Amino acid sequence: MATEIQEIDLKTDEMIINMGPQHPATHGVLRLLLTLDGETVKHVEPVLGHLHRAQEWQGQNRTWFQYQALIDRVDYLSGMFTSWAMARACEQLDGVTVPERAEYLRVIVSEMNRITSHLLWLGTYLIDLGAMFGFPFYPFREREKLFDLLEEIAGQRMMFNYIRIGGVLRDPKPAWFDKLKAFLDEFPDRIDEYEAIVTQNPIFLKRTKGVGILKQSVATDFGVTGPCLRSSGIAMDLRRTRPYSVYPDLKFDVISFDKEGDTWDRYMARILEMRQCVDIIRQAVEKIPTGDIMGKKQMAGMRVKAGEGFAAVESPRGVLGCYVISSGGEKAVRFRWRNPSFCNLTILPELLKGCPLSDIMAIFGSIDIILPDVDR
Amino acid sequence: MFANGDEIFKISRLTIAWLTIIFTIVWMVCWGVGIAIPMLLTQQLGDQANLANEILRAVTPVIAILVFIPINAMFMVLIERRALALWTVRKGPNRVGPDGNLQTAADAVKLLLKEDITPTGADAVMHTFAPILFFAPSIIGAVPLLAAVTNDHPLFHILNLPTGIFYVLAAGALPVVALVMAGWASNNKYSLVGGLRSAAQAISYEIPLVLSLVTVCLMAGTLDLVKITQQQAGGILNWNLLGGGALVGLNQAIGGGGAKALEAAYPMGAISYVCAGLLVCSLIISFWLYLTGACAEINRIPFDLPEAESELVSGYNTEYSGMKFAIFFLAEFTNLFVVASVTTVMFLGGGDNPIPPYILDKIPGIPQMVAAIRDSFFCQTLHIINPETLFATLWVIAKVYGLVIFAILIRATLPRFRIDQLMAFGWKRLIPLSLIVFIIVVFAREFVNIHG
Repeated sequence: MATEIQEIDLKTDEMIINMGPQHPATHGVLRLLLTLDGETVKHVEPVLGHLHRAQEWQGQNRTWFQYQALIDRVDYLSGMFTSWAMARACEQLDGVTVPERAEYLRVIVSEMNRITSHLLWLGTYLIDLGAMFGFPFYPFREREKLFDLLEEIAGQRMMFNYIRIGGVLRDPKPAWFDKLKAFLDEFPDRIDEYEAIVTQNPIFLKRTKGVGILKQSVATDFGVTGPCLRSSGIAMDLRRTRPYSVYPDLKFDVISFDKEGDTWDRYMARILEMRQCVDIIRQAVEKIPTGDIMGKKQMAGMRVKAGEGFAAVESPRGVLGCYVISSGGEKAVRFRWRNPSFCNLTILPELLKGCPLSDIMAIFGSIDIILPDVDR
Repeated sequence: MFANGDEIFKISRLTIAWLTIIFTIVWMVCWGVGIAIPMLLTQQLGDQANLANEILRAVTPVIAILVFIPINAMFMVLIERRALALWTVRKGPNRVGPDGNLQTAADAVKLLLKEDITPTGADAVMHTFAPILFFAPSIIGAVPLLAAVTNDHPLFHILNLPTGIFYVLAAGALPVVALVMAGWASNNKYSLVGGLRSAAQAISYEIPLVLSLVTVCLMAGTLDLVKITQQQAGGILNWNLLGGGALVGLNQAIGGGGAKALEAAYPMGAISYVCAGLLVCSLIISFWLYLTGACAEINRIPFDLPEAESELVSGYNTEYSGMKFAIFFLAEFTNLFVVASVTTVMFLGGGDNPIPPYILDKIPGIPQMVAAIRDSFFCQTLHIINPETLFATLWVIAKVYGLVIFAILIRATLPRFRIDQLMAFGWKRLIPLSLIVFIIVVFAREFVNIHG
């Protein structure tokens, strides 16, 4: 007599967890609606809008001059880039020629800003991986030095309002360049220091290698840009593929890897990018010409000529685009932003499907989003 | 190298000040309750005081521990924050009191005065009981260590169990129940996941932890903590860290025994020397296994998954506030201290001086100093100190807090494991390794004359 094996239906209940909006690791107020099976993620739904500040609408209700000061807050870690995108869009309409010295200054300050942004990412990413009180503060040491330099020329640590429509705000003194050069000499050693602690750390490798692999098809489908895209093997960097400002005069290669990148590659892409920034700044400081720094008069009632303009810059997080319609009045008719964080965030459900709970932070952190940039 | 020498100086000053205060207080309490009051009573009442004296002596260790644990935890929190700040290019708390010395005292007051919240839908009884159950084992576990770390001081004789290490391990296995209770009773999904993680982790890592200690007990031939400590007396070569007694013969040979001592300790010639070498390697691996397992057992980075802040908010203690949270906090640091003490007793020779006596006695001034302390008024009349206990305690303090600082350094360096990697590391690496070490020790010890 054959024994009958009774099939037992072992069903486990799925658990729904709200990760955020108040969660220490969601970098602000993102809410992730997780469906968990044990500790495995079944489904993720990012819920946006907790930090919506109507930045686009505010652009239509403020004068050009006022909005310039506000726009740094969209992506508060890389304010130079939002200012730059807006300035370029408006310059298109106005037909202002930006003085060459101003363009070089823009390159210098925004590359400095890129370094500060990546440094903050590095620190917080290590916090996400649980290196709670150890490493994360080292990058902040150098970040503070850069902020001191930026504060000296912009008057503010993070909300610079330095790049203006038509040029830049102030011309730094020669001593400032000396300080900057001293920093640039020191900084590569510091990156070596971070790498010594992190890059080959066995636990770090275990947490990041092979985790959250971003396929090229997914990346292109969802409009991912920035280091995430480049680490997945697509060499798309606006500074080279659609050159603007004085980037064509500077020597640098687009950093991209040959394979489809995991979180470790995304980490490495940013580390390499920081080293590249140092190179770019060095070249720019060497080549910077003397001359005027402002091509348009800055005043409260300034206007921008009627028309439609679009400009994009390569921000630390990806392609940051600004679309503007002007009727020639005191205020804009329409502002529209293309924010890299928002587009990069959309791949999250794809990447997180089927990964363990602990990997959520490893993957989510590696995309490097910033919530004000997502929600605007 | 010492770019922030000023900060290091401040931290050392703070450490010395705190340690002096802590151990003076504890010592005075022990002396007062266990020696001074019974002496007075005997003077006044004669034999009638015997019963009272017995009771006083019996409660002395408990009172000592109850006084010691809260102040010690306050100091450890402070030193952890300051040392972490030093290693992470920050300043750390330096505002409350001189040098920030009173920061944790202020924190303790704040925690005790805070509102105690029981979340809606929580099981109030379990929710209250969990921190107590978490804290109690750390006291219970600390008690038998007292005799071992004070070089078997007469006051703590009463606590010396023949199965001491077994008892400590049993006490150390209890808190996991409290963590699951806390996680379940909080009515919070994060807490629940944290509690379950801690259960899985504690069960997995207890095996290599216990096996590494079993290896030591096997070498020592006893479970008695005091005996294990006494066996290790006589310099760093006698410690269990280096061969668990396999190098005692070498130590004797260097100390004047010559070839005869070597002959006695290693009877089989080359085979014995190889086995002694194997034992040294095995015991060092055991030491490392114990530290790793202990780190996981007390939920410290890189094994702090039950309270992984970036994933589970704060794990099992997410829903705790006020006094209950304070007790969790206190117990965590006490556990760290207990683990460091067990390591000291089992591997680092307890209160033993790393420099062997045959070198120490030749250093001018040391024997005279010991004799002076022994003949002093404090020792002879008041029985406050005796030189053996004094030096043993000083060495224990140095070793235990050295290990604590080491744990803090690890916390300042490493990121966190993922739960499946943690399990794989525990079951696929640590447990087989500890079994291999155990088997090597079983065979290798036959060829060496352990402990002379």
